[in-house]
Amino acid sequence: MQTSHTLKARKRERIGSRYAARERAAGRLPAVIYGHGVDPLHISLDAKEALRYFHDGERVFALAVDGGKGDETVLLKELQFDYLGTNVVHADLMRVDLNEEIEASVHINFVGEAPGLKSAGAIMTHPYTALTIKCTVAALPDHIDVDVSKLNVGDSLHARDITLPAGIVLAMDEDTVIAAISMVKEASETGEAAEGAVSSEPEVITEKKQEDKGQ
Amino acid sequence: MPRMPKRVKYRKEMRRVRDRKATKANYVAFGEFGLQALSGCWLTARQIEAGRIAAQHYLKRQGRVYIRVFPDKPISKKPLETRMGTGKAEVDYWAARVRPGTMLFEIAGVPEDVARQTMVRVAMKMPIRCRFVGRRLEV
Repeated sequence: MQTSHTLKARKRERIGSRYAARERAAGRLPAVIYGHGVDPLHISLDAKEALRYFHDGERVFALAVDGGKGDETVLLKELQFDYLGTNVVHADLMRVDLNEEIEASVHINFVGEAPGLKSAGAIMTHPYTALTIKCTVAALPDHIDVDVSKLNVGDSLHARDITLPAGIVLAMDEDTVIAAISMVKEASETGEAAEGAVSSEPEVITEKKQEDKGQ
Repeated sequence: MPRMPKRVKYRKEMRRVRDRKATKANYVAFGEFGLQALSGCWLTARQIEAGRIAAQHYLKRQGRVYIRVFPDKPISKKPLETRMGTGKAEVDYWAARVRPGTMLFEIAGVPEDVARQTMVRVAMKMPIRCRFVGRRLEV
C-alpha cells in the first residue's frame, strides 16, 4: 500500500526553461499539476525530499501548495530527465481521488532463486521492469513481487502467471513475457558473426536502381 | 570482424554537425547496467568490436552484452600525399555517431561488481570518457 507523504510545493510565477533552470539551481524541482478539469498549475517541490520519495517507489502524495485551499491528492505520472538520462528535471503530477480507478505501471520485484540460473551460461532476461495495472489509487502498491523460484532453463513467466493482490487487475497483454531463462549464445572472442559484416562493402540500393533504368 | 551495414542508400555521406547532446538512447533499456558516453565522437567499428571482445573476454560465458551503437556512417579519407580536389575520397571506415549521453554497451545477468569491472575494461577501448550507470528511476 502507498504511504501518502505530504509534499510542500510553491507556485511558480514565471515559467519557461530559464526560470526552471533557476529553480533547479536553488534546489527545487519544477513540476506541474493537472487533471479533474482544473487548470494546470506550475509548481516547484523540494528536490531532495521529492526525489527521495520517488526513489523509494512512492507514487501517491498529499500536496500542499503555498496559498492553496488545502491538501490535494496527486499521483506521480511522469518524470523528465536530462540528456544523461539520470537527473530528474521535471515531474508531472495528476490530481486523483483515493477511490478513483487508475491505470498505472508498478515496478516488478523478482523474488526467489530460479533453479535454472544455477547452470553455467544461463541468464534471466526480463524485458519489462514494470507491470501496467488497474486499481484504485488507495490500493496502488509500491511494487509487485514476482516469484521466479520455479523457473528452469527454457521456461518463461508470462503476465497472466503473476498473482496480483486483491483489487488489482492486469492492464497489459496477458501473453507478455515478464521473465525468461535462456542459455547465452556462445560467441567466439575474435569473430562473433557481426550481423552486417558479411562482405567488405555494403550493397548500395540507389546504384542498383540506376542500372535497372539504364537497361 | 568489425560491423558495417548490409545495404546503404548512398555510398558516401556528409560529415554533419556532431556536438549535440543525446535525446534518445541515453538510458539503460535492455540490460541492468550500462556504459554511457560523456562526450561525443565517431566511434569506429573497430573500437566497438574491441569493446565487445574486452567484455566477452572478461565475462567468459556469464551474462549478456548488448551493443547499443551501430557503425552506419561511412567516413571517407584521402590517401597520404595526394593533392586536394578530384572529388570525395573513398570510404575508409565505418563509424557510429555518439553524442554526449549515448548508451554504448549494456550488460544483463551479472552482479554489479562484475558488470562494473567489465565496463572498466570496455571503457579503456573507447576513445572518450565514459561512465558506468544502472537503470534509471522508472514511473
